[in-house]
Amino acid sequence: MKTKTILSILTAAVLALSVTACSTEQGTGQASGETSKETESAGETAPADDSGSAQAAAKVLIMPKLVGIPWFNASDVGAMRAGEEIGIEVVYAGPTQPDAAEQVKMIEDYLNQGIDAICIAANDPTALKPVLNTARDMGILVMDWDTPADIEDVDYSVQSVDPTEYGEALWDYMVKAMGAEEGQYAILTGGLEAAALNMWIDAGREYAKEKYPNLELVTEPIATNEQQQEAYSRTLDLIKTYPDLKAIVAVSTPAPIGAAQAVQEKGLQDQIAVVGGVLPNDANQYLKDGSLDYGVVEANPELLGYATAKIAAMALNGEKIEDGALIEGVGNITVYENGKTIVLGPPLIIDANNVDEYDF
Amino acid sequence: MKIQWKKIFNQKYTNALIVVMLFLLFSIATDAFFTFENMSDVLKSYAVLGILSCGMLPIIISGGIDVSIGAIISACACVMALFMKNVSSNLLLAFVVSALFGALLGAINGLLISLLKIQPLVVTLGTYSIINGCMIYLTNGSWITEIPDNLISFGRMRPLGIPIQTIFFLLVGLLTMFLLRHTLWGRGVYAIGGDEVSAERIGYKPGWIKFLLYVYFGFLAGIAAVVHTSIMSQVDPNAFKGYEMTIISAVVLGGVNIAGGFGSIFNVVVGVLFLAITYNGLILMKVSSYWQNIIVGAIMLIAIAADTIKKKREEAEKTVVDVEYKEG
Repeated sequence: MKTKTILSILTAAVLALSVTACSTEQGTGQASGETSKETESAGETAPADDSGSAQAAAKVLIMPKLVGIPWFNASDVGAMRAGEEIGIEVVYAGPTQPDAAEQVKMIEDYLNQGIDAICIAANDPTALKPVLNTARDMGILVMDWDTPADIEDVDYSVQSVDPTEYGEALWDYMVKAMGAEEGQYAILTGGLEAAALNMWIDAGREYAKEKYPNLELVTEPIATNEQQQEAYSRTLDLIKTYPDLKAIVAVSTPAPIGAAQAVQEKGLQDQIAVVGGVLPNDANQYLKDGSLDYGVVEANPELLGYATAKIAAMALNGEKIEDGALIEGVGNITVYENGKTIVLGPPLIIDANNVDEYDF
Repeated sequence: MKIQWKKIFNQKYTNALIVVMLFLLFSIATDAFFTFENMSDVLKSYAVLGILSCGMLPIIISGGIDVSIGAIISACACVMALFMKNVSSNLLLAFVVSALFGALLGAINGLLISLLKIQPLVVTLGTYSIINGCMIYLTNGSWITEIPDNLISFGRMRPLGIPIQTIFFLLVGLLTMFLLRHTLWGRGVYAIGGDEVSAERIGYKPGWIKFLLYVYFGFLAGIAAVVHTSIMSQVDPNAFKGYEMTIISAVVLGGVNIAGGFGSIFNVVVGVLFLAITYNGLILMKVSSYWQNIIVGAIMLIAIAADTIKKKREEAEKTVVDVEYKEG
């Protein structure tokens, strides 16, 4: 870690030399990231090739929204693990920024190199439409995972959790943390316009109407601009506005942390329950000091990467993927009526006791 | 009475007047707004914005802009956190390391802008990308947690009941005010913002002044990084994505001309207070969040429209003078 500190100071010196390098920097950074990933996967799959029969190993491209963030690093590990287990070549590569145009370029490159399947976490379904259709016309299996593309453009869509199920889980665990089925609560969200977050919130609110009629939502969801400091200030505001507030449910990963922090600072850990979608590494200290009660995580990203690679291999083998089928190492999957959308299972619940088991 | 109103409007205080009106409105409409607890919470949460706006102000006065600041403060926060965790948890050293690192990154912006005379927007867009890229590479985008306790307890200090972060904002504000008013550099900032060529003719050195502008902003970003981490108690490398826009809006909403030439710390205080109290007050008034954005947008437009109308009038007066002079 010490070297990282020195490194970061050294990079500053390097910056001084890279006068006109602003555009090239991104290009090379990404290219080098790609090659390292490729050599890595080539190295891992080489033994499989040797031991394999005359038939060459299938080559599956798994593309995250971006590389270099913990979530997608964990998927990388899972995808590689699946590749090793079943003896297919998994290439895990993506842009350094969540940029659909970059994804299109990279997919085109891989199409030229020859590939059997593409699994994409789509940054923009519309922008990816043409290239995904080109791939399908070439007879390549096209799937999406994590973040869906247009359902028309893919053969399968691997999703971590059903939005309704996720929303319901959030509310269930909020009630569990409150210890009562009545009381005032508020909702923090990443942004009022974020469709995925709205789906969870709407599902949870509908569910609460039926199951927990005595819960009282004090105000419409409050936007935090996907930032911890906003969630922190807005929670301080909420605590003052609604002195009887019993719980906060927060979606968008930095929001529960900011809320927990405000609650902890005011010493209200025992009065106000905080639950929400978080990453275990970030939530660790707040789960342990009691200001955050439960983290409801969409999926274990390692498992998501693993399942995506496995499902791709199954589809390439011509295996039928059916509702309720048991995938080894994943569990029973749900397949929607459209025959394409595959949902892995219930969300991952983390609390003070199990948070140390996960590293993402 | 009438004359006094006119005076208030004419002395660039329109936006301040709007802030005062909002302040009164919130104080009357809610019990929780004008309390010591709420005021100190709000000023604590917005201290980082305040410190950074103090750095952006001289740059905007000089006619420049810095959009790399979000990346610089994140970089400072990461370096500072890694330093505290791995080298020394001394708080003073943490401030020094963070401020020096910020000043160094600012110096890179400053050198490119003053020596190569590239547009500030272009330079800082480039450095934003580079610094951000390096940070994501070094941290993998993960948060840095388990910051030493002394920083956290420092962040909870409240001398005389005032949050320590607010005191930093106050000190930085005073320092910036002093630099702008009483140093040759400060006067030079106004001069080159008004007209760079004339400023150079009367003896100012625009290159040197610009270089120091960006170094100063970097230095403040370093200070702000420690102040921010003392509240948040962990470092999120992505926490300041898009933050440059919030800083610029604070400065401009306070009444500073985005084209440069004039502005003061007073404007920064007005702009920061505006952003700080509107969302706070609207939530306390139990206004639905869908309406909040609409109301905030409307107030902003009113503030800026008032400002622009006032300036148009002033310009119209100037034109008359010009014509008369030519005829004479």
